[in-house]
Amino acid sequence: MKVYDGTTTETETAATTSPERIKVGIAEYQVAQGQAVLTTSGLGSCLGVAVYDTAAGVAGLVHAMLPAKDEMDDNGTDAKFADSGIRRLVEDLEREGADRRNLEAKLAGGSDMLDFSEDGPGIGQRNAETGRRTLEEFGIPVVAEDVGGERGRSLRLETTTGDLVVKSASRDERRL
Amino acid sequence: MKVDIQSLGTFNRLAHEGAEQATASMCQMTGLDAVVDVTKISLVDRADVGEQLAGGDYVGVRFDFEGELAGETVLVFDREGSETIANALVPGGASDEAMARSSVEEIGNIMMSGFIDGWADFLEATIEHSPPQYLEGSGREVLPAPSPRRATVDGPEGFDGTGDGDAPDGHLDQVFVFKSEIEWVGESVSFYIYMLPEYGPLSEVMGRHNSAEDDAIPVDKLGVFNEMTYDGTQRAADNVEMMTGIETEAEVTQLSFAPIEDVPKQVGTDTYVGTVVEFTGVPSGYLMVLFDEASAVHIAEAMMPIELDSDELTEQHKQAIEELGNIMTSGFVDGWANVLQTSVDHTPPRLVHDMGRAIVDPLAAQVGQHQEHAFIIDSEMRTEDIAFGAEIQVLPNERELRQALDELLVERADQTEADVEHIFE
Repeated sequence: MKVYDGTTTETETAATTSPERIKVGIAEYQVAQGQAVLTTSGLGSCLGVAVYDTAAGVAGLVHAMLPAKDEMDDNGTDAKFADSGIRRLVEDLEREGADRRNLEAKLAGGSDMLDFSEDGPGIGQRNAETGRRTLEEFGIPVVAEDVGGERGRSLRLETTTGDLVVKSASRDERRL
Repeated sequence: MKVDIQSLGTFNRLAHEGAEQATASMCQMTGLDAVVDVTKISLVDRADVGEQLAGGDYVGVRFDFEGELAGETVLVFDREGSETIANALVPGGASDEAMARSSVEEIGNIMMSGFIDGWADFLEATIEHSPPQYLEGSGREVLPAPSPRRATVDGPEGFDGTGDGDAPDGHLDQVFVFKSEIEWVGESVSFYIYMLPEYGPLSEVMGRHNSAEDDAIPVDKLGVFNEMTYDGTQRAADNVEMMTGIETEAEVTQLSFAPIEDVPKQVGTDTYVGTVVEFTGVPSGYLMVLFDEASAVHIAEAMMPIELDSDELTEQHKQAIEELGNIMTSGFVDGWANVLQTSVDHTPPRLVHDMGRAIVDPLAAQVGQHQEHAFIIDSEMRTEDIAFGAEIQVLPNERELRQALDELLVERADQTEADVEHIFE
């Protein structure tokens, strides 16, 4: 199984002044060092979790589709789920030199749009809750979030500052 | 031939990993950065293969292969992409035609050898391939001309092939296509790997990789189902025509299979307007009717008694789209229920106006709670009068779809063997 650990992109940094742009697909995560921009698009009920250590200059972004791998009989990649995706992301960040005590997180996505489930909270909400709970396991504070609502989102994480820019079809950009 | 979900999943992953290997060797040689965006297996009408290439100019390489699997595989770059590659190999290479061509051949050779070797390794068998043949052309012309040996799907027993899209000799005129789409990071150009396997060897190999018999779907049923979906789409198109007076035709219908996380990628990142319903019955699932914004404005105005002086999408436009989405959904679902002889109920339509992928994402996630792979039914309709295109995407529960297909031929064998069109009369 292919593991998206960001190693291929890290070795191919373009020798230009603009920061390297790294795309994170659905059910994928990427970790970057130094100056880079991690992007992901089309979050509906999916959850985007940005975790970074600005002192160490390491940041990562995961685009999770479902809440908890633990609850599923699924052989999918870790990054498909909020819980296993965050665990994997934190592990990789630490391997790249991040200090857990300095890690901060931002959440975006988890919208309730097109949720047809009639009983209990929808997937978007459960994704966000699982995300917060998993981050708490590691003692990583969630310093900002833009979750829920009825719209899709696209994200841009600037690794040097930890700024997470959230774009929606019918709303101005928000910088978290 | 029967295929089961697991072997479809395995083949999909194999095609995807092959495409990733091919892409990695291209990146290594050129220093360019590209990622495999999506890989899917589709069952599609022969004449519609490569529909996605319409309107563009392409260059590429083609290989014939033989052995455990046989058929053709094609790597296609759009012009811009091929120039980027030529320049990356030799600075200024794109301006020299011979040089540009040999760059494409060289890269193509390396990429596709890796792709085919990947298949051979997995199958633990030998697959021989021809030297690369350079090709250029516009639209789907760039793909190999349809050959009768390609993976034409056999019709059900007794099927005489007299329907619209059927070959006359008892075959459905549909072929399996493995397609990967690869995207340059930070650029808007893409390239594609198509693999068009011959039916005989493919069915043998797939048969051998089937895991459990009760999981298996006879491919002929998938083929018939595909045709029925086409007719359902035509019904939806007729409803559009009735409401707008614009002549509308069902154009492409394909049944694809992909990992659940690739489902949202079936729709672009552009903004779409449309409706979504959940339907219940066997199968249950979600149905989307999506218009790109420009199409939505055009079609909505065709429905309005007065002319609006705006290119923007207003609340009035959205109301019209909601109404249209509703009637298209009904047309499609009625056709389907008729064939399956079940009742298919659906929720009132919910109007959506958002980035395409964000619309599909929550639906894929809901289906993905119960399955790792998904069938996607994808239909398009077009009209020549005004610029307008609409897509119908259906995301059924996989287990229930299998059940419906099981019952389809058992109960209605006499009718599915006949002309599919009659079923809708």
